[in-house]
Amino acid sequence: MTREDKLALAGDYVLGLLDDAEHRAFEQQAATDPELAAMATDFSERMLALDNTVTPAAFDPGLWARIERKLDTDAASNVTVLRPARRGMAQTRQWLPLAASVVVALGVGYFAGLALHPVEKPTVVAILLNQTDASPAVIVEAFADDSVRLMPLEAFAAPDGQVLQVWTLPDADTGPISLGTLQAAQDLRLTGPDLPLPQSGQLYEITLEPAPGSPTGKPTGPILVKGFAKTLVP
Amino acid sequence: MAIDNLDAATLIRRIAAGDRAALAQLFGAEAGRLVAIARRIVRRQDLAEEVVQDAFVAVWQRAGQFDASRGSAMAWLTTIVRNRALNLLRDSSCTDYHDGETLAALGDRNADVTNAFDALAERDALKACLGGLDEVKRRAILLCYVTGLNHGEVAATLNAPLGTVKAWIRRGTIALQECLS
Repeated sequence: MTREDKLALAGDYVLGLLDDAEHRAFEQQAATDPELAAMATDFSERMLALDNTVTPAAFDPGLWARIERKLDTDAASNVTVLRPARRGMAQTRQWLPLAASVVVALGVGYFAGLALHPVEKPTVVAILLNQTDASPAVIVEAFADDSVRLMPLEAFAAPDGQVLQVWTLPDADTGPISLGTLQAAQDLRLTGPDLPLPQSGQLYEITLEPAPGSPTGKPTGPILVKGFAKTLVP
Repeated sequence: MAIDNLDAATLIRRIAAGDRAALAQLFGAEAGRLVAIARRIVRRQDLAEEVVQDAFVAVWQRAGQFDASRGSAMAWLTTIVRNRALNLLRDSSCTDYHDGETLAALGDRNADVTNAFDALAERDALKACLGGLDEVKRRAILLCYVTGLNHGEVAATLNAPLGTVKAWIRRGTIALQECLS
């Protein structure tokens, strides 16, 4: 691409002439081409003078309130909207053999300080994805002693009267097992019931449940985040 | 109340830290200007307000991505508004040049372009460099930037073939950037 081609491309970008696909392609190219990126930045800074020729407009006095409402709705939806495909364990309704132990598991789950578990290698690691936009939301490390460590990558919390409940699905026959409940995503360690060693491909997820935990002992609320475990490369 | 780039950059950093009051302050200082910028593109007050509403929600979500080393705070903020306005215009693009109302709107776009150029400060190199371009190239560039038209709409507005308009804009933006640098 000649210098002139780059100037022309930066020009189209700043003038708003690129369609969506071209816009994305431009941003990818600019990320690795400092000359192109600088051209676009310089040109857009200079063209800003044209935007600044406007006389500020009057606007609806309720506009700020509308923005605040939108922010509040979005904040709430980070936790509650997420009406996802309830795939994974919800479809595998084969819980019978373990229904009893799941109830026990709810009682057993407890939080323990990380200090109690110094550097120790997890058996498997799972990245749980936000089911709204598929962005990574929580890292789960599962250890051989039936404990899991949660490391949230984004903040989310359960509204009043509800809890976040952490589940795993050791296998389809066993059905989902609760690893414990919490109010807000935080870096902590949960100790679940006695389970087989976590496997590669094992499902982990967090659902929103009524406090103090799912009334049925299996996931009933929306899945907020979920992901499949992988074994660490030795 | 006008704020400068440094103030805006400070506000954006506070917004990135989750400070709602900083967002309110940025809105108070800039909303009127941003509504006017969006209105030159989307041509309707209610749509311009919708653009600014969406833009401030985006500012709240993306303030952490602002990088002062890659441009000014004002350019960052204005670009978010411009891109929202352009998307809205493109998504609802049902421009029919035989429609009387649309012709009137095109006349308004031409007037906005003339006003924007005239209002540039005489000492601004942008004014001198734009002034140095052929009239058609200058107008084509301004119709795109100021009022958000695309190649085809500029061609219809200036009653020129599409290929010619594309060549004007290419040569015009290259000459403009050379002149500015």
